Amino acid sequence: MAIAEELSALRASTLEAIAQAATSADLEAVRVQVIGKSGTLTGYLRSMGQVPKEERAEVGRAVNEARAEVEEALAARKAELSAAELSAAIDAAAVDVTLPGRAQQMGTRHLINGIIDEVSDIFMGLGYKVVEGSEIETDYYNFTALNAPADHPSRSMQDTFYVRDLSGDTSRVRGESDVLLRTQTSGVQVHVMEDWDLPIYMIAPGKVYRRDVADPSHLPQFHQIEGLVVDRGITFGDLKGTLDYVCKQLFGPERKTRFRAHYFPFTEPSAEVDVSCAVCHGEGCRMCKGTGWLEILGCGMVDPNVLSMSSIDPEEYSGFAFGMGVERIACLKYDVPDLRMLLEGDMRFLRQF
Amino acid sequence: MKLSLKWLSEYTAVPGDLKAFCDRLDLTGTGVEGVETLGEAFDGVVVGEVLTCEPHPDSDHMHVVTVNVGEGEPVQIVCGAPNIAANIKVPVATVGAVLPGDFKIKKSKLRGVVSLGMCCSQRELGLGSDHSGIWVLPEDTVVGTPMAEVIGSGDTVLDLEITPNRPDCLSVVGLAREVGAMYQQPVDYPLAADVAKLAECTEGADVAEAVTVEIPEDVRCPRYTARVIDNVKVGPSPDWLAERVTAAGGRPINNVVDVTNYILYLYGQPLHAFDFDKVASADGVAHIIVRAAEDGEVLVTLDGERRELTQDMTVIATPERAVALAGVMGGEDSEVTEATTTVLLESASFEHGRTSRTSRNLGLISEASMRYERGVDDNLCEVVSKAAAALLAEVSGGTVRPGVVDVYPLPTEQIELTFRIPRFNAMMGADIPAEFVKDILVRLGCAVEDTAEADVLRVLPPTFRPDLEREIDLYEEVLRLWGMDRIAPTLPGGRERVGTRTPEQLVVRLLNDTLRASGMNETMTYSFAEPGDVERLRLPAEGLGMAVELLNPLNADQSVMRQTIMGGLLRAVAYNQARGVKNIQLYEIGTVFATAEGRKKPKERKKLGGVLAGAMNDAAWNAPAVPFDFFDAKGVLENIARELALPKVRFRALSAEEAPQLQPGRAAEMLAGGAVIGWVGEIHPLVAEAFGAEAPVAAFELDVNALVKNARPMRPYVDVPTYPAVAIDQAFVVDEDVTHEKMTQVMTSAGGKLLESVALFDVYRDAERVGANKKSMAYSLTYRAADRTLKSEEVEAALGKLVAKVQAVCGAEVRG
Repeated sequence: MAIAEELSALRASTLEAIAQAATSADLEAVRVQVIGKSGTLTGYLRSMGQVPKEERAEVGRAVNEARAEVEEALAARKAELSAAELSAAIDAAAVDVTLPGRAQQMGTRHLINGIIDEVSDIFMGLGYKVVEGSEIETDYYNFTALNAPADHPSRSMQDTFYVRDLSGDTSRVRGESDVLLRTQTSGVQVHVMEDWDLPIYMIAPGKVYRRDVADPSHLPQFHQIEGLVVDRGITFGDLKGTLDYVCKQLFGPERKTRFRAHYFPFTEPSAEVDVSCAVCHGEGCRMCKGTGWLEILGCGMVDPNVLSMSSIDPEEYSGFAFGMGVERIACLKYDVPDLRMLLEGDMRFLRQF
Repeated sequence: MKLSLKWLSEYTAVPGDLKAFCDRLDLTGTGVEGVETLGEAFDGVVVGEVLTCEPHPDSDHMHVVTVNVGEGEPVQIVCGAPNIAANIKVPVATVGAVLPGDFKIKKSKLRGVVSLGMCCSQRELGLGSDHSGIWVLPEDTVVGTPMAEVIGSGDTVLDLEITPNRPDCLSVVGLAREVGAMYQQPVDYPLAADVAKLAECTEGADVAEAVTVEIPEDVRCPRYTARVIDNVKVGPSPDWLAERVTAAGGRPINNVVDVTNYILYLYGQPLHAFDFDKVASADGVAHIIVRAAEDGEVLVTLDGERRELTQDMTVIATPERAVALAGVMGGEDSEVTEATTTVLLESASFEHGRTSRTSRNLGLISEASMRYERGVDDNLCEVVSKAAAALLAEVSGGTVRPGVVDVYPLPTEQIELTFRIPRFNAMMGADIPAEFVKDILVRLGCAVEDTAEADVLRVLPPTFRPDLEREIDLYEEVLRLWGMDRIAPTLPGGRERVGTRTPEQLVVRLLNDTLRASGMNETMTYSFAEPGDVERLRLPAEGLGMAVELLNPLNADQSVMRQTIMGGLLRAVAYNQARGVKNIQLYEIGTVFATAEGRKKPKERKKLGGVLAGAMNDAAWNAPAVPFDFFDAKGVLENIARELALPKVRFRALSAEEAPQLQPGRAAEMLAGGAVIGWVGEIHPLVAEAFGAEAPVAAFELDVNALVKNARPMRPYVDVPTYPAVAIDQAFVVDEDVTHEKMTQVMTSAGGKLLESVALFDVYRDAERVGANKKSMAYSLTYRAADRTLKSEEVEAALGKLVAKVQAVCGAEVRG
């Protein structure tokens, strides 16, 4: 058989084999077999020496043509097969997207500290510093410097935790000790007024203690956020505006506040602040016990005695102070049914916030 | 304080809109805690007369009675009360009546006997707490009268919260004054008219012949007045008086006691009526001495309790014995009884601090002590006593001896204050007119005068307002009555303020963020601990100080302040495990306390404690549950070290002696920059057991101050590499006791400057292939130069040096 015919047959069978190749691997086998190093078509080029001189150009051209044609067919088929294989691989890799993802579990902030963060951020925005005080205080900072009468029931062993004083002092008031677990964060006010330069804009969140047996609505340890402003020209209107803003930030812009005259020993005038009930919007319901209002904090203008005791001239400076219960806010915002849950560390409770 | 609006309306107008009235009271500082409408609940409840009373055939305590209720046939009722009897008058709830608590009266059968109604106790009618039996009505009550009429229908009683600074509001007259000021409306004060009646009933010898009063210690009793009323007939009070006492929350007893209570409710002046004959000495004169009680002196008070007294308490005594506890309660053996004919009427003022302590120490709070501890105006003692004596004479048919014994060693003086209206307005941020200011002050009982200076007032507050001591106190009065709601809200305009957090707060915030990103859940536990918690935790006592002891703990297992957070956290682990919650990652940043001999205020430190038990997740479709161990706790600390950029962090193995709280071999100390930061490890199984927790529990406790001190707010920038690295895996076989830390140290020091990092990727033990007590540690070593691509010869040379050094120092063999 003439070479030309051989080539023609090889070309035809190769193109057929390429068309028949079902996988990339089959196709590669065809490539190696035909145009690989020792492929059949390559063989013609290698054995060109045996071809008569006058035919060489003709054969060489035919071989190259066949090779070009095969390579083109290979490339085309390869593209076809790759697309099909990729498509098959993609099909095979489809997942049920509703299966759970793979995530590093994040931890959670305690509800109470979360609220303290929230309130602190609001006051930071108003230009207040955040201060912390010690949890054990002397009678002076917790009561006396805050104008509390020496005989006030809140100072009794019934209501306040006292700790053993190892300094050898004897208490003038209690006989046993005048060192106690602070019952209010208000003592921080006194330290700040003694130690800071004026003006003062601060809040002091922290833990406080009262001698209440733990039950669904009482804890012997809970949290307060105390606030104090002392500056020239501070008015009762400033107190109202500040707390109204804070309540709206905390509870929502649609909520209203009202100020009820009240009595606290270290502020004058004093008020309690209510926020309108979220459930009934002031109509009166079970949540607000029919009043339409929920008590949220106590406040007032700093009593001139308290300023004087810290060597601040009440004729020149005025100020306001307020205190809010963090657990109370937690209950109002989240309806926590039992305050003891805040101290149990139950993962199922903690991970809700 | 209970306030009957019917009573109040006798002195000042009561607004028709009850809700608006209550709101106004609330806003001006008199909190309304409850509103009770009397009479409303009594439809269908009438006065009945018991005609017959037979034992129930099938019960040993019930009776079957027939009752005449005025209309129609007598009705049959089954009654269980012990005091039911024939021929008494009782309130009867007929079929169809609805009693308080939505209790509907229906026809029923009780043990087979038909009952067509109910005989009621006071409590069943919502009239107080008496539930000892049926309420037996006075004989002259008319059968068939609706009970609403008997009790006084249509009255509304407010339960008011009176703040401790307002003793004047513990009286109807005081509240009338308050309401008058609230609405700027007139008030008719009854005192003058009440006193005027005295003249008609005065008779006999001067009271000074019958009574002497001695007050050895002035401060205990600023004023004591006594009057004597003769020819008293003790008996039930007239209806109007009983009704008033009931409406004020009291219980009618007899005409004499009811008058003292009525005057107390009306004017706020506590009174005491003694049976004169029981306090008079042999000479027929009552020698009253107001003196300190003796320690251990005993007095049986009106309530029948035997009280042991102390020196701090004050008694009213005769030369023979104590007859009353001053300001708190009378004595039983001098009380007015039906046999009493002569009454000694005390109207006095006692020191409030002592009264308050006495009442608290004895656990005895009375209407009198409640008022004395807030302050009773001594200026009014005498004049109120006149009104009381006149009324007592009127209702008991008695006569009042002329004159009064009035010992008044410490009169309260009126004080003079200045009210600067412009300053007031500036401080309130308001523009309240001078006329309003004056009007309110006058209505509250102050004397007000203009001064030479414009808009500056001279104000004399009444002595019944001990809270009005300073100018600022007057500001409060005007502001609250003007209405706090009328003040426009503003924000302070201070120019010098900036909101900042302290460096410590910033580090603690970062710490919290890192812990949460590490999967830890923040919790809070009690600051209280059980004595011995430190021993139970087996914590080394060093550095913990002495426990701070509570003098008055709530219970024994919370009687000291915690010295570590770990106790609370382990209890929380146990709490979760006991409830089937297996996966637990908790942390707390909180204060721990320590004291020392000679210390007044204990030392407070912030600690960070963490516990991990169970696994991060339950087994999931694509990930197994990997139980927590030492390395999970350590990983959290590594995250903290990274985020706080702690310098030179090391973990040093702790021996069983150094860390008895931890399982030996899984215990370490964290150091940064040479300072001890805290410990990490797996809690010793016996310690876990002691807290009811199931091991293993990985845990750590770090000192927050040490973290804050070592945290670096900024870290230096390091160039991102531009040339490729060469990574080589190299395994060494070493003895078990060669630590990873040691290996890393040797490799790092011998690695040369081309060695960029060393990472352990495998630890392999096999007695046969590796050898007993040996381990194979495989490291991935990364070599890189900052300025060129490394040549393989360079890397080989560096590696050769490293391997030789590890072999020499760690006794390592190279594993192929």
